[in-house]
Amino acid sequence: MKDYRIVFEKKNNMKYISHLDLNRCMLRAVRRSGLPAWYTEGFHPHLYLMFPLALSLGIESICEVMDLRLTKEIPEQEILEKLNSALPNGLHAICVREPDKQTQDITSAEYSLELYAPEILDLHACWLEFFNQPEILTQKRTKKGMREINIKSCIQVEKISMKDNRLNLMLRLPAGNDGNINIGIVIDAFKNYAGKPILINYLCRTKIFCRNYEEFL
Amino acid sequence: MSKNKIEPFLLDVQKPSRYTGGEVGEIIKNKSKIDVRFAFCFPDIYDIGMSHLGMKILYSLTNQYENYWCERVFAPWVDMENIMRREHILLYALESGDPVKDFDFIGFTLQYEMSYTNILNMLDLAGVPVLQKDRGEQLAPLVIAGGPCACNPEPLADFFDLFILGEGEEVNLELLDLYKNMKDSGATRSEFLKKACQIEGIYVPSLYEVNYHEDGTVKEILPHENAPKIIKKRIIKNLNQCYYPEQIVIPFIEPIHDRISIEVLRGCIRGCRFCQAGFLYRPFREKSAELICQQGIALCKNSGYDELSLSSLSTSDHSQMEKILDNLLEYTEQEHVNLSLPSLRIDNFSKSVLEKITKIRKSGLTFAPEAGAQRLRNVINKNITEEEIFNTCQIAFAGGYTTVKLYFMMGLPTETDEDITGIAELAQKIVNLFYDMPERSKGKLQVSISTATFVPKPFTPFEFEPQATKEEILRKQKILKKAIKSKKIKISTHVSEVSQMEAVLARGDRRLCAVIYDAWKSGCHMDSWDEFFDAQKWHEAFRKNNLSPEFYANRTRNYDEIMPWSHLDYFISRKFLIHENQKAHQEQITKSCREYCAGCGANQSLGRACF
Repeated sequence: MKDYRIVFEKKNNMKYISHLDLNRCMLRAVRRSGLPAWYTEGFHPHLYLMFPLALSLGIESICEVMDLRLTKEIPEQEILEKLNSALPNGLHAICVREPDKQTQDITSAEYSLELYAPEILDLHACWLEFFNQPEILTQKRTKKGMREINIKSCIQVEKISMKDNRLNLMLRLPAGNDGNINIGIVIDAFKNYAGKPILINYLCRTKIFCRNYEEFL
Repeated sequence: MSKNKIEPFLLDVQKPSRYTGGEVGEIIKNKSKIDVRFAFCFPDIYDIGMSHLGMKILYSLTNQYENYWCERVFAPWVDMENIMRREHILLYALESGDPVKDFDFIGFTLQYEMSYTNILNMLDLAGVPVLQKDRGEQLAPLVIAGGPCACNPEPLADFFDLFILGEGEEVNLELLDLYKNMKDSGATRSEFLKKACQIEGIYVPSLYEVNYHEDGTVKEILPHENAPKIIKKRIIKNLNQCYYPEQIVIPFIEPIHDRISIEVLRGCIRGCRFCQAGFLYRPFREKSAELICQQGIALCKNSGYDELSLSSLSTSDHSQMEKILDNLLEYTEQEHVNLSLPSLRIDNFSKSVLEKITKIRKSGLTFAPEAGAQRLRNVINKNITEEEIFNTCQIAFAGGYTTVKLYFMMGLPTETDEDITGIAELAQKIVNLFYDMPERSKGKLQVSISTATFVPKPFTPFEFEPQATKEEILRKQKILKKAIKSKKIKISTHVSEVSQMEAVLARGDRRLCAVIYDAWKSGCHMDSWDEFFDAQKWHEAFRKNNLSPEFYANRTRNYDEIMPWSHLDYFISRKFLIHENQKAHQEQITKSCREYCAGCGANQSLGRACF
């Protein structure tokens, strides 16, 4: 029995697959791959797969993580080849890692995005105005219904630039068990503030971090 | 490519992967090398259509041929339909993303009557004229249909170029071959249709003239242009030599049946008099045990699915069922696959079969006695006795089952109020049986009763019978609810207005084309979804065309009446249907085909005795 941490991309049309559907898709892919998957030993045995960090619908990613348990040790290259031969276009396993870090230690994730607003003259200035508000209030869905929260302190801008009228941002947001901010609500808050249509050209999760800014992968 | 235009809106709709394609198992071809493009359209949403076995078979079969490309099309859900109409995006096929109107064939499967308005809606979304006469003389696209409801396609006659009767595995390819040849020679639509109607199993409605008596019944059906007087359905004689896919398209979202289906047999030996499928799919033909296991294992391996279902009208009627289960269980247990067996019959639900199923999964028991009293079960020829029901329940309760679902019909021919209270009595006896068993399991018992309104269908012995009116059904539902005393019994009933419209469309004639058209124009679609069915609009469409639903649904037909489908031959003789209808009224049963041949006529299609 051996645990493997698979790092995979979720791109193009695969961004329209929900987390639950991704789970079922991966289960079948592992079964098709012919890898010796380990099954739980309860009354209804099931294949052991674990996704530490869900990704919202509509977001691409180059750093998705899936923990997989096999009944025996298999060379990493073989795992990649077998898995990739079973995956649909848009899902691609990049590498296999030792599951050395605990998934509970995940604290934040980094996103790269490109926004375009045909009706806003200077989108960069508009963002700065938005971001420099004393509070950024937005609605978050919780178990007790919709709740208003201030997300200002949650957003870390790592890079910002304008090119060809397009605003490129690199943002870091809380992720993991201790609190999660969906990049979608940040963009929605910005759209609300701007009051004019803002289109998303590109939106991708690029990195996952643990405590002390250490990369998870 | 329409699919590109949809991209900016995909996050505004529910379950966007309904519209993207790209699933494992999808077949992509280089369209420059394709002679004939076929858009296989399911007139309901993706989640339902992707569960349909017939589509999986015909999709893979057509794509076996290098120069043919079959793609999938589903009705968009209303959220996406609104966007498509607002943004002028034409209905497209999932594989290529190309507009359906550019295909050679637009082929619909007719699975249930209440999907008819969806067909019109999909053609309209595709930018294809809804009426056949408006499509002009250019050859493509040909709008065609097959499936069980094609046995009476008359209410759809104005919308289709042709219908395919019976099983499609052979005739579809003959049709595509003919098309390819005639396309190369520059034929027109009507030239093609005149040739196509000579293929056995192909019905071209525009080549037939229907005249009516003053009372509204059919007077005569006249073929023109040398079209055959009688059109025979097609069957596959030997299932062991019939194509079956080894890989299917695996949806990302969960369809209603999320599993591998292996067809184990076609037809049915039972002859339940209300059941259209039991007659339409005759004769009875089995697939060999070896082939069933081989195909099941291959599909599990190729797809990665962890549930395998043995599907047919009555799976336990396969003569080698125990052998199949033994062989398959050996594989499925080792590979962690659930084996599911829908369509089991009470009377041959043996202890050993039950043990084999419980090895895999413990779900509820579902029985369909259809009628509460033995007298009425004899009328409908559902040859199950109370004793058999109790025996099976006893085995099941001892095996740990605690939920029993019972399906019944209301409004059956000759039904009395005692038959209705008989439903409650039967359920009560099952409750008593459970509590009288010392070795019953500790779980809580629940017996659910579900009742549907009986819909008389063509090619059944009840095709002559009137449907009970809505008032009558509501009255009987009240009687049943009053008769139930135990809290262990739950009952669910259904509105009968949809059933009335289903009865109208099932036995309708060509004059209903205008009604369907007007109903759709006034906004009817997704009629099989309770939240969309609008009886008011349908009734208005009838009034506008001076027709009444009662004429079609609630009228008794004489034995010598010409039916709107009388020119279609499903190898079930009128003489047999009349005889069976008489026996029903005499409360006489007919034995299963395996015990005794009742002479329905289906063996003519085989050219030999069925057994």
